[in-house]
Amino acid sequence: MKNIDHLIISPIKCRGCRSCQLACSFIKTEEFNPAKSMIRMERDVETGHTAPMILPLGCDLCNGDPACLKACTYGALSSGPERSDYRVLVQ
Amino acid sequence: MARPRSWIVTVDLSTGKVDREPVDEQVNSTFLGGSGVGWKLVADRLKPGIDPFSEENLICVNPGILAGTLTPGTPKTSVVTKFPTIASDDGKHYIGSCTTGGRYLGVALRRAGCEHLFIKGKADSPVYLAIKDDKVELVDARDFWGKGIEAVNNELVCREGPESGVVVIGTAGENLVRQALTIVDKTNSLGRGGLGAVMGSKNLKAIVVNGSGGVKVAQPSEFMNVSEELRQRILKWPKRAHWIELGLAAGWDTFKHTQYPGIWPKDEWDKLYGEKTRMETVEEVIADNSCILACRLKWKIKGGEYDGEIGFGSPFSKSATSGMLLGVRDFRKMIHIVADANSNTGIDFYTTTRMIDFVTKMYEIGRLSKEDTGGLELTREYKTYLKLYEMTVNREGFGDVMADGWYRLKKEYGLEPQEYWYAGICKGVDFIYDARPSNFHPLMMSFFTRPRPHHGGSHTRTNSRNKTLEEIREQVEGWGLSEETVRNIFTEAPYTGKFNVGRYTRYMEDMMRVKNSIGLCSIYSYQGLLFGNDQARLYNAATGENVSAGELVARGERISNVAKMINVREGFSRDDDRVPEVWFRPMDSPEGRIEMQDYYQTKVLTKEDVNRLLDDYYEERGWEIEKGIPTQKKLKELGLAEYLKDL
Repeated sequence: MKNIDHLIISPIKCRGCRSCQLACSFIKTEEFNPAKSMIRMERDVETGHTAPMILPLGCDLCNGDPACLKACTYGALSSGPERSDYRVLVQ
Repeated sequence: MARPRSWIVTVDLSTGKVDREPVDEQVNSTFLGGSGVGWKLVADRLKPGIDPFSEENLICVNPGILAGTLTPGTPKTSVVTKFPTIASDDGKHYIGSCTTGGRYLGVALRRAGCEHLFIKGKADSPVYLAIKDDKVELVDARDFWGKGIEAVNNELVCREGPESGVVVIGTAGENLVRQALTIVDKTNSLGRGGLGAVMGSKNLKAIVVNGSGGVKVAQPSEFMNVSEELRQRILKWPKRAHWIELGLAAGWDTFKHTQYPGIWPKDEWDKLYGEKTRMETVEEVIADNSCILACRLKWKIKGGEYDGEIGFGSPFSKSATSGMLLGVRDFRKMIHIVADANSNTGIDFYTTTRMIDFVTKMYEIGRLSKEDTGGLELTREYKTYLKLYEMTVNREGFGDVMADGWYRLKKEYGLEPQEYWYAGICKGVDFIYDARPSNFHPLMMSFFTRPRPHHGGSHTRTNSRNKTLEEIREQVEGWGLSEETVRNIFTEAPYTGKFNVGRYTRYMEDMMRVKNSIGLCSIYSYQGLLFGNDQARLYNAATGENVSAGELVARGERISNVAKMINVREGFSRDDDRVPEVWFRPMDSPEGRIEMQDYYQTKVLTKEDVNRLLDDYYEERGWEIEKGIPTQKKLKELGLAEYLKDL
C-alpha cells in the first residue's frame, strides 16, 4: 500500500484520454462513468485541449494509492516529494 | 453478472419518431455486438437496390462494446451504410462499414445507452440530431447549413456540453459530393466513400451525443485485471516515447519507401516533406478515449501564405504523396488543403487531390479540352488545384463531374480510372497505398476483397515491411487458428513467397470485424502489442462469455459473410474485386524501376500470381472461386441460411 497524500496536476501534459476519470469511477463504483469520478475534465472548445480538475472535497486519494495516478500515462497527474500542505496542486 | 443489455435507438428523420428496443441476446452473442450486430441489423432492414441518397438508406452507428472502458485503445465507433460511390460501370453502390476513434463519440453513445443508432428517412429541412440519454431530439440546423465543420462542432459543444461526442458534415456533404466524409470530435475522420453525402442527403448536418450513464462489464475484477496487464505490456513498448511525441506524424522512415509516388528522388522528398517539416508543424498529439498511444494531431503552419493556420487530424502522409503527385514543393500549401477539408468542407483529400492530378494531366496531353471543362484551363499549378478543389466541393461547373467520382469522369469523357498512375482504383475508390513501392502485403489484397475499398481498421503486423516470419506467425497464432490453417498460410509457393497473402487476408479481415465490433484501434495490432487471444480475454470479461480467439475469428467470419451477402444482393461478385491495373505497370522513378513484388521482395508478381492469390483467398473463405461469393454450404455452416435466397 502506498502512502500518497497529494496529487500534482500538470494540465499542459494532459492528452485528453480520460483514463483518470474512468479509473476513478471504476474503483468507486465498478463501472466506467466519468460523472461518478472525482475528476472533471476541462475542455477548451477552440484548441481542443483538455485538463483534469480533481474535486478536492470528494477525493480521498484512494487511501494513499490513487487510481487516477496509476491510470495517467502522460504525466498529467503525478505526486512529487512529500508535501502535506496541499492535497491537489495545479502546476 | 450477465452481459449488460444493449439497445437499438431508431430515429426516423421523416417523422421525428424514435424507437428504442433491446438487442436480442442471441444476436448479440452470435455477432459479437457493436458493428457486428450493426451489419446484421442493416442486412435485415436495408432494402436492396435503393439509391444511397434516397430516404430509404440507413445509417447505423455502432460504438464498440469496449468503448467507454479503461482498456487501452478502445474508442472506436463503426458506421454501416450504403455508400454513394459509383462503384462500377453499371452504377452499383456498395454497402460498407467505416470506423473512427475520437475522444467523445463512442463513449457518449455507450453512456447514453445507445449501442446502435439507426437513422432513416429524410428531414424536411436541415436538422441536427441531439441525443442526451433517453432524450432524442431533431433540432433546427438551418443556421448551420453552409457552415464549416469546426465552427459547427465548437458551437455544438458549447450548446450541449463539454463531453459531447460530435459528428459533423461540411459543405461537401451538404452538396452531395460523393467523396464527402464526416469529421468526429474535430480530430478524426469517418466515412471515405461518402458517409458525409449520405448525411447531407438526409438533411442531417450533425449528430451530437451526451450520456450520463456508466459503462458496465459482466466481470469487473477480471476485466480490470486483463486491462491492467495489457496496459503494462503496451507501456513497455520501446517505441512508445517516440510515438506519443509525434503520433501519426511518426513513421516517415518507413513511409517514404512504402508510399513513394516515384516522381522526385527520395532525398528531395525527404527535404520537402520529411520528418523535419513534421516536427516543425506538430503542436500537440491528442489521445482518443482511453488510448495510451496518442496519435491525433493538432498542427500549426509556420511561415508562408498560410502562416498560423491551425488544423486537427493527420495531414502529413496524405499531403506528402499528393504533394509529389501534383508537383507542389511547399508542404504548407498541401497541408492547407487538408486543413480546409477537415475543418470546413469535409471532402476526402485523397480522392480529390488524385482526381485533380488525373484531370490536369489529361488536360495537358489533350485528352480533356477547354470545352469539356467549361472554359477552365486545367494548368498544372497550385491555383488551379485550389480552384478545382472548390469547384468540386460546390459542384460548380466541371466540379460537378469531379464530385461524382472516377466513374463519372469515365462516363462523361472516356477517362478510364484504371489509367490513373498511382495506387490504383477499385470499386470507384482510389487506394491510399500503391502496391509497387509497398509490396503486395495483405492490406493491399484487402483493398480489393472488402466490400468497401479502404483499410478501415484492418492493419496487422504485415503492414510494415520485412517483419520476420516469426513475428507474423506470432500474430497468426494469437488468432487461435487450427494447425492445418496456420500451415497453409505459411506454405511457400512460387506465386506468393514465404507466406500466403491470400489465405492470411481472410483471417486478417475477420479479425478486423472483431476489432471493429469490440472497438479496438488497429494501431495496437499493427504494432504487435495486442493479439487475438488478448481480445478474447477482454471480450469474455466484458460479456461473461467464455470463448477462444478462434471462436472470435469464427464470429468475425460470420460478420464478413453477412457483409458480403448484402453486397452480393447488390450484384457484386469477383468481377468487382479487381486488382488495379497500375500495379502491373512498372513505376519508372529517379530511384530506378519499381515493380510490385511479394512481401519479402523475392519476385515480381504477375497478374496470374495475384489471381492465384485471389483464388486462395476465396478458397480459404469457402466461397465459390469463380464467382467470389459465398457458397450455400458456407452460409448454412455459419447459421446464415436466411441469405441463401440472395445467392
